[in-house]
Amino acid sequence: MSDSGDARKEGSRPKIGPVDGDPVTTHPDLEKLSSYQRGLREALLREFKARKVKKFVEKQVKYINANRQVAEEIKILFDENGQPPANAPMEDIIAERRQLEYQIKWFEAMVLELQTRLLRVREIEALALDVLDHSPEA
Amino acid sequence: MAAPVFLLAPPRSYTSLMNAMLGQHPEAFGLPELCLFNVETLGQLWIRDSDEMGGDAKTRHGLLRAVAEIYAGEQTMQSVRMAEHWCAARQNHSAASIYQELVAKIDPLVAVEKSPAYTIDVKRMRAIYRAFPDARFLHLTRHPVGQCKSVMSLYEGTWALFVNSIEFLADRAIVEPQYAWHDFNINILNFLDSVPLEQQMRVRGEDMMSDTQEYLGRICRWLRLRDDADAIEQMMHPERSPFACFGPLDALFGNDPNFLSGPTFRPHKVKVPPLDKPVSWREDGAGLKPEVVALAREFGY
Repeated sequence: MSDSGDARKEGSRPKIGPVDGDPVTTHPDLEKLSSYQRGLREALLREFKARKVKKFVEKQVKYINANRQVAEEIKILFDENGQPPANAPMEDIIAERRQLEYQIKWFEAMVLELQTRLLRVREIEALALDVLDHSPEA
Repeated sequence: MAAPVFLLAPPRSYTSLMNAMLGQHPEAFGLPELCLFNVETLGQLWIRDSDEMGGDAKTRHGLLRAVAEIYAGEQTMQSVRMAEHWCAARQNHSAASIYQELVAKIDPLVAVEKSPAYTIDVKRMRAIYRAFPDARFLHLTRHPVGQCKSVMSLYEGTWALFVNSIEFLADRAIVEPQYAWHDFNINILNFLDSVPLEQQMRVRGEDMMSDTQEYLGRICRWLRLRDDADAIEQMMHPERSPFACFGPLDALFGNDPNFLSGPTFRPHKVKVPPLDKPVSWREDGAGLKPEVVALAREFGY
């Protein structure tokens, strides 16, 4: 631990990063880069975004398949007559119960999220109708 | 109004943990990442001004959670909705006045905040200083190898890419986080040159992790806060902070997701890696840049 400060001119320490300016989401200063470097940077960003999209899609597909997964997983709890098998191991039943509880929590969170979005849309709809009601042409 | 404390450090420098610890002091209030000084007026936090990197909604989560907690005493979807209205009503207010309003609301508790994005630009830190001329600034450092490895392990180095920490090789560009480590620490040093010495302190994060109670005591004395055993004990429990968990669905984040998943602190000795060996995130066997090594040595590594 130490106090900061030295003999150099205040606030003048040089930076070393090849790109100046604000972060990419605002205004990076790319003037000092050659057109080749700009191209390489663009390619890096594109590759990154492609990876991000790929991961997002993989995740969504997993959620979409959740219904089928649930059906597959609870199959072991029932025999062909819809009755629990006589010799189902206790561990399997507990594991299934845990898995189902987890999935129910996930669905509840999804429902909550959708309800919130619905509320927002209703608010906007009500506001828009209100504006229409009070407009001179109404 | 109690002068706030700002932790200045690039991301992944123990800031989440330190912020929550200091915030657990009985005379302090640890805020999530407000990111308010990233913008000039509040409404700008809701404006996206480039499509280069994608969504930025997470930058608002900390503010929404803070407003919900401070004004409603809880963080629920309803109170976050209230916080959104609170922000909408103030969308044209300056970021500084919004911050001052929050600090006044929690007074006499001392506001403690860290938003690593402040260190991106000296202008952001100067805006803090203009808004709070008596603010205290804690410069938290981390060894460049540890910090860079940590940055690269989070969402494949998104943050380093976000701040253009890029190296150009002959045939391709790669993410090289050590530029960001160097330049953001330089930003902090350049900014602190304009701040009186009694309003600033530098601490190595690794020292904090291994000798936590001793350093917490020193920081308390510097901040003129109680440093008795009870205060220190409370600070050893960052997990008790209302922001040390994921928020409601409308505002899940406001902090590093790794910290939100496991905020409990366990003192430990951090192994300090050498400065002159190849670094693990490079495939070409390159090591740290000479400027990075020099700055790390200046920080005592």
